[in-house]
Amino acid sequence: MTTPPKTRDLAHRLLAYEAVAGKTSEPPESPTLLVYEKLRQSLSAVAGVTSFYSLACRALVLAKSEASSLGAAQIAADGSLRDFVGFEAQTDMDRDRTSEYRAGEQGVILIARLLGLLFLFLGEALTLSLLRNAWPGEAFDDRNSVHGSKA
Amino acid sequence: MSTQDKVKINKLLTGVPGLDEIVGGGLPEFSFNIIAGAPGSGKTTLAHQFVFANATREHPALYFTVLGESAIKMLRYQQQYTFFDPAKLPDSIRFINLSQVVLEKDLGAVLEEITKEVEKSNPAVVVVDSFRTMVRKPQSDMDLQSFIQRLALFLASWQATTFLIGEYAEEELRDNPIFTVADGLFWLRQTAERNSIVRKLQIIKLRGQDSVPGLHTFRITDAGVQAFSRTFGLTARKRNPPGNRRLSFGVPELDKMLDGGVREGDSVLVAGSSGTGKSVLATQFIAEGIRHGEPGIVAVFEERPEAYAERATSLGLDLETPQKDGKLTILYLRPLDLSVDETMQSILDAVEKIGAKRLVIDSLAGFEMALSPGFRADFRESLYRMIFALTGIGVTILSTVEVDESFTEFPFSTYSISFLCDDILRLRYVSIDGQLRKIMVVIKMRGGNHAKDIREYEITSKGVVILGKRLAEYQGLISGIPVYADRKDSTEEPSPRPRIKGTT
Repeated sequence: MTTPPKTRDLAHRLLAYEAVAGKTSEPPESPTLLVYEKLRQSLSAVAGVTSFYSLACRALVLAKSEASSLGAAQIAADGSLRDFVGFEAQTDMDRDRTSEYRAGEQGVILIARLLGLLFLFLGEALTLSLLRNAWPGEAFDDRNSVHGSKA
Repeated sequence: MSTQDKVKINKLLTGVPGLDEIVGGGLPEFSFNIIAGAPGSGKTTLAHQFVFANATREHPALYFTVLGESAIKMLRYQQQYTFFDPAKLPDSIRFINLSQVVLEKDLGAVLEEITKEVEKSNPAVVVVDSFRTMVRKPQSDMDLQSFIQRLALFLASWQATTFLIGEYAEEELRDNPIFTVADGLFWLRQTAERNSIVRKLQIIKLRGQDSVPGLHTFRITDAGVQAFSRTFGLTARKRNPPGNRRLSFGVPELDKMLDGGVREGDSVLVAGSSGTGKSVLATQFIAEGIRHGEPGIVAVFEERPEAYAERATSLGLDLETPQKDGKLTILYLRPLDLSVDETMQSILDAVEKIGAKRLVIDSLAGFEMALSPGFRADFRESLYRMIFALTGIGVTILSTVEVDESFTEFPFSTYSISFLCDDILRLRYVSIDGQLRKIMVVIKMRGGNHAKDIREYEITSKGVVILGKRLAEYQGLISGIPVYADRKDSTEEPSPRPRIKGTT
């Protein structure tokens, strides 16, 4: 079972957003960790740390089945992501998605898995509401925009 | 103190259909309320409805979850209800999970966390679901009482209307100091009655409000909780004085027997065994009303509306056109496990919608069968409330009831409800000259001088047709096995009005 392309596109988009934002920090932070952390804060506030922890663990297990390089990553009791080694060079949405994951793709896989679980359990409307809360500057209202192809 | 000196307590709509009427017009603003009940009784759903009905961007709601169940699951399930508007999240409604604070810290920390969030958001509505989860942590009663009191004081001063949700068993109601603090105490009950589940709501207390006492039925559907007030929302309505207008049955001879027809606003009972034409008569009654511009409702329990309308067509009565024109509604209320109050609400809604003047309930036996077994015990009392409520707003009700044919007695109804009816018309079979024929008699007519005649009738393609004059040549007609008595020379009509001493 893989993540739907639209969910992966959304993950790409969030990572791209944070890649730009992360460049300004010194030292540069991993976009995956930044996106993950925003999702953690947002969902933990609404549903609790335990709920987020459970979902994150499941997302990581699913992601590891797609990207073996995530093998060392762990979820701490507070839901934070530990031992994640990211190769964040690639967040370009125009890449060939049919190919095997590449270096940097594991972040997309993990975030897409997490988003996939949120869509599954909370539905699109509520998930987008969480995303709007976490990324107030981003427009998630447009369905096309949500699923990656920004109008 | 004059009225203008008194503080005005605003009432907030509950967002729960029927509940505003029960709580006396809405929930008092800034009140501190407890919703109690067993798991699965609808507490969270009720609180959600209130939150979604009242939260705005300017006056948001804070929903603190301290759940045994997963908060994600709660959100997953709650959003299935039609009132759940995701667009209200997170600006108007913020869900905040306190599980971790509860697990790791004490009630003081919980209060601190709530205080912090309230001061940050300045909410109009605050819900703590479920505060009982916090209570179950080992701590002294004083801690809890102090927590509740401080929370109540704090939230009231922050002008927040508050709900604490808690799982409580019935026996915990007595001597519980927590309930003393609350301004409002809503108790939701869910009991199994044979094979049915019956849900009831009680407002045990509500300060400053004239709530409707007693147990009110409620149901949880995809629209959330819907409550059915015992007074059917008609308490505030002025009762119409009984009119003098007579309503025709559409059967001229029967109208004569009824001294010109049924008095407007009466409750009429048509009783008879199977096949005696009760439904035919009811159909004629409703069709005649429509002919005179009086919209009608037919509540059927034993056949589908299409079949009911088709049968009317076979009698030359058109029920299709008035349905299309909004002059007639045929309500099919067959689903099992209904409460009388739900049935009543459906009927009342239909009455209000088309401004109905005539209502047929066909039949009471079907009505009873459609009810949950637990409600059948209250059938008479519920009928009383229903008839009182509807006739009070000027609706004329005709109910049919099937009675077992007996040759030793002449019952009017199996429900002992004749006292609820202003007029009773009894139909029955009689054995005459080797034929099973039909007779009718007006048993009772409150406020009218009805005929005492026993009349033979037939059901033809034109409906009920009364034949000839009274059956004077038979004795013992109401026994069903009359005896022929040759009294042809004494068939003159009796005096229509009983003579009272001193009158002419």
